[in-house]
Amino acid sequence: MKLPVKMTINGTSVNHEVEPRLLLVHYIRETVGLTGTHVGCDTSQCGACTIMMNGQAVKSCTLFAVQATGADIMTIEGLAKDGELHPIQQGFWEKHGLQCGFCTPGMILSALQLIQRYPKPSEEVIRHQLEGNLCRCTGYHNIVKAIEWAADKMAATK
Amino acid sequence: MAVTQDRLFGKSIKRTEDPRFITGRGNYVDDVKLAGMTYAAFVRSPHAHAWIKSIDVAAAKSQPGVVAVFTGKDMTGVNSLPCGWDLRKEKGVPGVVQDLAMVPHMPLASDFARHVGDPVAVVIAESQSAAVDAAEKVQVTWEPLPSVTATDKATAPGAPKVHDVPTGNVAFKWALGDGAATDAAFKAAAVTVKKRIVNQRLVANAMEPRACVARFEDATGELTLWVTSQNPHVHRLLMCAFVLGIPEHKVRVIAPDVGGGFGSKIFLYNEEVVCSWASRLIKRPIRWTATRREAYMTDAQGRDHVTDAEIALSKDGRILGLRVKTTANLGAYLSTFAPAVPTFLYGTLLNGVYAIGAIHVEVTGVFTNTTAVDAYRGAGRPEACYVLERIVDAGAAALKMDPLELRRKNFIPKFSGAFQTLVAVSYDSGDYAGALDKLMTVFDYKKFRTEQAAARTQGRLLGVGFSTYIEACSIAPSKLVGALGAGAGLYESGKVRVHPTGSVTVYTGSHAHGQGHETTFAQLVADELGIPMAQVEIVHGDTGLVPFGMGTYGSRSASVGGTAIKMSLDKIKEKGKKIAAHLLEASPNDMEYVNGQFQVKGVPGKAVPFGAVALTAYVPHNYP
Repeated sequence: MKLPVKMTINGTSVNHEVEPRLLLVHYIRETVGLTGTHVGCDTSQCGACTIMMNGQAVKSCTLFAVQATGADIMTIEGLAKDGELHPIQQGFWEKHGLQCGFCTPGMILSALQLIQRYPKPSEEVIRHQLEGNLCRCTGYHNIVKAIEWAADKMAATK
Repeated sequence: MAVTQDRLFGKSIKRTEDPRFITGRGNYVDDVKLAGMTYAAFVRSPHAHAWIKSIDVAAAKSQPGVVAVFTGKDMTGVNSLPCGWDLRKEKGVPGVVQDLAMVPHMPLASDFARHVGDPVAVVIAESQSAAVDAAEKVQVTWEPLPSVTATDKATAPGAPKVHDVPTGNVAFKWALGDGAATDAAFKAAAVTVKKRIVNQRLVANAMEPRACVARFEDATGELTLWVTSQNPHVHRLLMCAFVLGIPEHKVRVIAPDVGGGFGSKIFLYNEEVVCSWASRLIKRPIRWTATRREAYMTDAQGRDHVTDAEIALSKDGRILGLRVKTTANLGAYLSTFAPAVPTFLYGTLLNGVYAIGAIHVEVTGVFTNTTAVDAYRGAGRPEACYVLERIVDAGAAALKMDPLELRRKNFIPKFSGAFQTLVAVSYDSGDYAGALDKLMTVFDYKKFRTEQAAARTQGRLLGVGFSTYIEACSIAPSKLVGALGAGAGLYESGKVRVHPTGSVTVYTGSHAHGQGHETTFAQLVADELGIPMAQVEIVHGDTGLVPFGMGTYGSRSASVGGTAIKMSLDKIKEKGKKIAAHLLEASPNDMEYVNGQFQVKGVPGKAVPFGAVALTAYVPHNYP
């Protein structure tokens, strides 16, 4: 049995017939072909699959594609606008907030929601809000600095 | 015109690889999509130890979307996964007390499963979900057997045998140092302390699970394997020469962006071999990506030592002797470099930074019904440091001596020639007391002890701990590692190609999986050639592009990989001098390379820029 799904991803409307059990992350990666969203675990722990769905940062491995019907989705590929990096992307680049890059897309989109909620986040707030995203390389230190940098920049340009 | 460029090496600059990662355009193995792709799912043992009585694949084969199902019995002509470190007396490897038992490690187990997750069958299907569905229909009749998993129980009387070999669960015995001198030191000691020190097993857990894509092209007979590897050339060598018996020139191994390794992606694994083998049979590409659960069951793990350490001390706190007996759990099979880790990467570091009277270390490698253990972050060296520093602390406690004072008292005095340790290696220079003095300029130890005492009276516990660390990096040169039992040479390659316009492509055998080589090596090359970083491209991770390589582990990329690049650049400069000298009607011996130009020594006005020499080499109308 297949069910129709229809959603907007990074401003483009997509629709397919999919198995009801297909996870949203596999739909995005395999069916739509956007591979910036990663799968790091099968237990909803690592956050590498984090996307924005209707303005909320969600783990796309914890939703079925059919649950996202009608949703407005943004993946990491949709964050930079007209070739200009988003301040959070700039912050990760400036502050060496990544090494292998595998957790980075999810980390950046979690940071986006974090800054929306806490425009001037303290280090403590950042570390707490990133509990759902794991990084194995950096020890988080420079990720915190990257998000502080981005929050400052976003506040200054508001 | 020569332009002096600021030295880039050591500067904080933004990484050149980052733009693709922060925009979601990295290219990891699981991102590879090929026409006609099929997907693999493995059937694994749920038991730590079991007899595989039978495997019935009929139901799985008839599932929708299934392309093929294979078991170990189908893999005829395929050899065991090799262990690349041969600890045997006849090989002249020092310290071998009992030869390594080279037990077989077949890609799919067909007689016994020896650890949870041991693969016994593979299902290949049109989609990942079809493969997983059908894998559940493979009927394996297991007869569970008693198992042994604890390191210190592996050689206990009556322990279940992991392999049917005469030496039981002892994989090897190895020793280093002077046993008699150590015994004498313990006899002469005022105080001796013995301690059991456990370094627990751990899971490497790179963020990116292991994955592979194998594509066999029937028309050309070429196999391409994309794999999450820290050393694609090692993968190619092991798979071609040892397991599948196919010529290396027909195999290309690509390790594209790799999401962290931590040692666990050095080794050749069952799934990569099975997919490569099967793609030749079904003549279609196959992709497999581990789930996190599979990563826990099958990625080579780290540490797992149980050690009885003893220290012998004089009344005034001199370390007279150190005796170390370690049992190292190797897991169910010998992973690629497993025997090297608890021996040459461990025992040789037990001298630490101390002048010790005598040392003796004995290591027993054991098989258990657990996931294989191999190199993980520091591999053997942190284990040695942990043992040594814990027993030094225990010695200080027994003498009621300040742990820092005991350390300082036993430091090897400052030296700049070679210091020969009691455990084979020598150090080239050291000033450990000097390093400690430097630490004391930023940390007021006396003050801390006062604060600590005050805090205790208020019921608060403040702690302070000290550790020294010395490490042997690079796992090189080849002659040395060969003498210690390595199956491979441990050099590195660095090919530098200068393009006609003066831009440069560097092909390095080192592999970056988070280290940032594309930036670091470009800094090095730009500095050496005096050209902008933007003119330097670093290529790695593809045996089709990089001629040879040994890869990245053991902190070897900058020291060995970087040196290889530097040596190639020196050759280019020598060649360039000949060309420039010819153009300037000067002698090559009178030329020097300064600020991006070849010039007559001390005469910057009489010079040819790097790009012009490059163009002359490609358009040799006027050539020496």
